[in-house]
Amino acid sequence: MKKTSRISRRDFIKFSTNALFGLGGFFGLGGLLRYFNYYPPEAPLEFDLGHITNFPVGSRTVYSEIPAVIHNRDGEFVAYSLVCTHLGCTLTESSSGFDCPCHGSQFDENGNVLAGPAQTPLKIQRVEILEDGMLKLYTKDGRK
Amino acid sequence: MRREYILINIAILVLGFMFISSVSVGTSTALQQATATTTFPITPTFDPARLAQPPTVYPPAQSDTGAQIYWGMCMSCHGDQGQGLTEDWLNSFPPEEKNCWDSGCHASDAPASSFEIPQTGIPSLAGAGTLSRFSNSFELYRFIIENMPFFRSGSLTSREAWSLTAFILRMNDREVEGFLLGDTSGAAIPVHHKVSPPESQIPGTLILVGFLILAAIGVSIQSKQAVPSGKPNFFHHLHPPSIPAIQSRFRYTLGAGGAAVFLSFILLITGLLEMYYYVPTPDQAAISVETIVTLVPFGNLIRNLHYWSAQFLVIVMSIHLLRVTLTGAYAAPRRFNHVLGVGLLAFILLLNFTGYVLRWDEGIHWALVVGANMLKTVPWIGEGLYRFVIGGNEPGAPTLIRFYAWHIFGLTLGMIILATWHAFRVRRDGGIAIPPPAERRENERITRFDLLRREVLAMTVSAVILILFSLLVPAPIAQPISTFNVMKGDSQAPWFFLWIQELLKFGDPFIMGILIPILVVVMLGAMPYILPNAKSKELGNWFPRGNRIAQVLSVLIMLTILVLTVLGAIPN
Repeated sequence: MKKTSRISRRDFIKFSTNALFGLGGFFGLGGLLRYFNYYPPEAPLEFDLGHITNFPVGSRTVYSEIPAVIHNRDGEFVAYSLVCTHLGCTLTESSSGFDCPCHGSQFDENGNVLAGPAQTPLKIQRVEILEDGMLKLYTKDGRK
Repeated sequence: MRREYILINIAILVLGFMFISSVSVGTSTALQQATATTTFPITPTFDPARLAQPPTVYPPAQSDTGAQIYWGMCMSCHGDQGQGLTEDWLNSFPPEEKNCWDSGCHASDAPASSFEIPQTGIPSLAGAGTLSRFSNSFELYRFIIENMPFFRSGSLTSREAWSLTAFILRMNDREVEGFLLGDTSGAAIPVHHKVSPPESQIPGTLILVGFLILAAIGVSIQSKQAVPSGKPNFFHHLHPPSIPAIQSRFRYTLGAGGAAVFLSFILLITGLLEMYYYVPTPDQAAISVETIVTLVPFGNLIRNLHYWSAQFLVIVMSIHLLRVTLTGAYAAPRRFNHVLGVGLLAFILLLNFTGYVLRWDEGIHWALVVGANMLKTVPWIGEGLYRFVIGGNEPGAPTLIRFYAWHIFGLTLGMIILATWHAFRVRRDGGIAIPPPAERRENERITRFDLLRREVLAMTVSAVILILFSLLVPAPIAQPISTFNVMKGDSQAPWFFLWIQELLKFGDPFIMGILIPILVVVMLGAMPYILPNAKSKELGNWFPRGNRIAQVLSVLIMLTILVLTVLGAIPN
């Protein structure tokens, strides 16, 4: 007895062939997404700033290449990121503190906003004094 | 047997093939590693000179700093030449320290305040086959900073570990002078080449290949269908409702023209993808290629596809040219299209050469210098031509950026225009050359559907071959060119110009290196205009009587080029 199928042989082959091309395309697309997803290793996150004697009490040292500012407040070291919290321009020193050259935000010595458009204060960054008196700055895990 | 079962059987075959190929990849890797051996001078005596501190250099290169750290921390185990803890190295210590080696200590009160020296398993760091687990400097750095020195792992600073990496690269003759390794810059200087591509990519690629093979089977067993009705669209210019069957006969066309189109599309797509990671500066070019090959997921596959498509394209186009000549197909009205085709071949050779130079590694060094200096020998305009191509008095950054611009834009644009024109002329001249209807021995026609089916089948099969080839055979890359005055490495022209390299041995560089190759191209292009052509009723067959002279001439030219290429490929 001959069994009859609801789909013809022609349709079956056509459908499976197209499905296989589709699956192949799907796999190729997956590989393509993975290909685009590569990014080079991150920039350095730690900076050796030299011995603490280079930072006298009350001093303010700007590193525009990091960019960050280090304050020595009576032996307490505090570091602020000099990246504007508005859209990421590097701040420049001014009489009141730091100004943004891009959109005119102003920050005081302690990173607080004096004038907009920036809304949030400057990021505080972690500084450590190592056993040998060397100062180390971490740019990644700074907190707000 | 029902034909559906064939599908299932072949699917099993494909799965088996996938399994076998993945196993064989693993085996060949192991073999490669096992056959690599290292030789070091054997002087089994105490030699204080071998233990001396390396001289300090000012200003120290990164590798010089690394040499000092290596001397203090690593040398006692890894040896003065990176040979590892060999018998010879053990015996080169003074007797009192040798005793210490024998007793397995490294201090008077070991292990209390010190550590035990591992007696075995200390790997060598230099020479063929060593460090094969690291494909690039970043992986090597990561291993060093995480694991070394073994008795205080993790105690090295980032800077020390990078210096050591630089020194180990120097021991392996892979240092890039003037290049400062670091967390952001030194990611991918090659250490040793991985024999196989990153493993996670093999299964995915093989599954893709499997799908394509099954799809190809599906295409090949599809039954003939009538031409679908509907309005004609753009592609119907290339695929008329029906064409004479003899025009699509493989033993007549060899499928070479279609294969060239297919390879060109692969080249355009993979080339676009490579541009995402390739950096066209002298110090970064080879390293960015290395990054694509070793770090970017599927980058190895994509670069190999680009490389091998380009190589195959030269071969396929040569076959196409020979086919057209040996069948006399270029007779009027196709004479001008023959000129366009020969022009395309010249463009592809230039594209292949510019692409080859973009590697900017020691492998292309010699060929670039020679090729550039050859331009100077052109009478009157030589110097100007050299400056136009090289952008200065010697190859450098301007050269690379010019080659890049020509490769990705100038020549590619010209090729696309010529190829489109060529394809348009093929159709306008009535498709593949066959006799006029009255002279044909058969008048069978195939439909557009059938033509497309054959094309899809051919493309799928080509894609499978190309992907498997690219998965198994890596494209070459060597260490970056550090200075143009010192030549290291391969002094060969790329294979498609080996015949010119051989010609250069016979005499004047302008005549042999420039004039003769140009004359060859011009002669091939001018054949339809200056030599007798095949008559129209002779078309559609191999070796027609009408253009015998051109057939003999082109076969002689191709044979000469082939012989010269083989001569050039044989090492002296």
